[in-house]
Amino acid sequence: MPAEAVDVVIVGAGAAGCLFAAKLSAAGKSVVVIDAGPAWSTDDLVSSSIWARRLRWGGPAVESTGANPFGLGFNSGWGFGGSALHHYGTWPRLLPSDFDMHSRHGRGLDWPFGYDVLRPFYDRIQDEVGVSGDAAAEIWRPAGNPYPLPPLDQFAQAGLLAKGFEALGMKTAPSPMAILSREYKGRQPCVYDGWCDAGCPIGALANPLVTYFPVAKAHGARFVPHAYATRLIPGRTPAEVAGVEYADAAGVLHRQHAGVTVLAASTVFNPALLLNSRAPGWDAGAGNSSGLVGKYFMTHSIAALYGFFDETETENYLGVTGAQRTNQDHYAKTSFGDGAFGSLQWQLAPTTKPSDLLGIAMARTDLFGKPLERFMDRAVHHLTTMFGFGEGLPVSSNRVELSERPGPGATRLPRVVHAFAPESVRVWDAATKLGLKVLDAAGAKDSWAGPMASAHMMGGTIMGNDPSTSVTDGFGLSHDIRNLVIAGPGLFPTAGAMNPNFTNHAISLRAVENMLAHWGDHNA
Amino acid sequence: MEDASEQIDRRRRRFIAAATVGALAYQVGGIDVLLTPAQARSQRAGFGVLSPAEARGLEALGECLVPGARAAGIAHYVDANLRRPAAESLLMLRYLDVLPPHSDFYRQGLNALDAASMRQHGRVFADLGEDAATRFVAAIAKANPDGWQGPPAPLFYFAVRGDAVDIVYGTKAGFEKLSVPYLAHIEPKSDF
Repeated sequence: MPAEAVDVVIVGAGAAGCLFAAKLSAAGKSVVVIDAGPAWSTDDLVSSSIWARRLRWGGPAVESTGANPFGLGFNSGWGFGGSALHHYGTWPRLLPSDFDMHSRHGRGLDWPFGYDVLRPFYDRIQDEVGVSGDAAAEIWRPAGNPYPLPPLDQFAQAGLLAKGFEALGMKTAPSPMAILSREYKGRQPCVYDGWCDAGCPIGALANPLVTYFPVAKAHGARFVPHAYATRLIPGRTPAEVAGVEYADAAGVLHRQHAGVTVLAASTVFNPALLLNSRAPGWDAGAGNSSGLVGKYFMTHSIAALYGFFDETETENYLGVTGAQRTNQDHYAKTSFGDGAFGSLQWQLAPTTKPSDLLGIAMARTDLFGKPLERFMDRAVHHLTTMFGFGEGLPVSSNRVELSERPGPGATRLPRVVHAFAPESVRVWDAATKLGLKVLDAAGAKDSWAGPMASAHMMGGTIMGNDPSTSVTDGFGLSHDIRNLVIAGPGLFPTAGAMNPNFTNHAISLRAVENMLAHWGDHNA
Repeated sequence: MEDASEQIDRRRRRFIAAATVGALAYQVGGIDVLLTPAQARSQRAGFGVLSPAEARGLEALGECLVPGARAAGIAHYVDANLRRPAAESLLMLRYLDVLPPHSDFYRQGLNALDAASMRQHGRVFADLGEDAATRFVAAIAKANPDGWQGPPAPLFYFAVRGDAVDIVYGTKAGFEKLSVPYLAHIEPKSDF
């Protein structure tokens, strides 16, 4: 029996899905949000690296392969809040050079708009959500309003690392964080206990459960947990979609009809859902006349640098999981030369708990037994950490595709294939060498670099002006299906080197306001 | 003298009490009880997935990787999580993009470990002396030994090392051992 039709069905209750739901329901639209995972509340955000694993994808397993397989298990979300439920709240803006890489350099892709178009949405989002930072100190920051909140408190390891940058003639600034340094709009400020990775139950960090989810609920949006979207329901013509089919926890299929369908199911599951949707006129999947659905999957390389300061208590157990300070001196795409191409940003001095993937014990995975015990005793009070995020260039062979493994509702499960471009690997290599110099200049007694890792996922449903070279327009509206909107970092045509969630919010706000302004054009 | 029904009631009460602190489910003497992994080990609780030989190998490997992992109940911890639905597993393996079933990963890895140890030393891994075990683990951390048939040895090392770190250092007691304040927002009702 079909569920009652609504104005909008949204697939995915993460950052983008909750923002869309809040704005649409506040505008009087009837909204249903379906999500594959559970209905978390802030009470579920237990301070434990071990229990935090429940917040990662718990649905049918996704294959990750290629020369540099992407770390899906760690980066993905599961349930209400999505990956933003355990994200670290590091919210830098992209820079103008990220929007026209192809025009400037003849490689990569261009966005369908420039930074100036997005700037007001960044400004409004930071006021709505609450971002802490020091805009003047961020000498690299593009034009924009000052942050509504002063920077977060700093702890010892931030100062130690900053001295290394300064000694090399480089500047650092407090990281812009979507974590409250002061009480803001009824939410409590950060207490610097460093459990951001396990989710912030006090609401200081802007996870969707404390930002847009409650707004959407207050305006009547209905959220359905354990609802795995299987395929889009074709509309009267191939240029329309009628809603979404989904499987409940028991595998029973349901249909949610809607005037507009919004896909906010993550960078992996948005393309998977489109590719699984076959119907007359959707021969290669819904919205895929370009053949680009799933293509240009991107991630950031991570250069992980560590150093010991034996004479100082580094206070690495205090602060926030994201970072305390940033440096972006090497953000220019050609900054490193020597065959490297792409941006780099540093995030310094994250809180580091003893266990877990980014924990202290994983800083030296070669150690075990007694040497590991000695390392742990030393590191918990004297280790400093910094991460360099390197831009992964858009490469069409990096992709989300369907594997042969069966999923719910006779679908096929996604597979992610990823390899960094050689130019991106050189950025990582240059970052590693630079990071070691910084640590040496800071006076670290021992310093070393970890192996290449990756974080953040973007692309796969890229936006652009040309329907033959992109999946959506600049508002996330499908080029092929007039009432299908795609949301999230999957839209990014280039990855930049910035943590993506601020930009995700900004493009989502722009898209949903466009949708409401042209409601008659989109609504079927 | 307690009769059988009283024993069952007592165990049931203990089960309910344990449930309030969120311990893991094990079978002791044919009865389901909720215990910490360390308690499960000391009470010789049975395994649901791992064979006794596999559990012994996992304890030996865990102890070699992180001293204290055996007593903390690493084999019972892993076994209990392998019995959980995948979405409720707390194992590090959840982060490592290993396709399910995860029980195969551990069983095949442990069997490969013992087979390689037999080839090199004529005895299973749990029977190696400390020096031999250390050299053996250092080797599998880097590459598959000749004839290794299982998940990639370095990945297996990484995953089990992660489990051992979790159970020794990832708990409130582990923080305390390291003299690091735990600083919980919401205290976990149990470690696992």
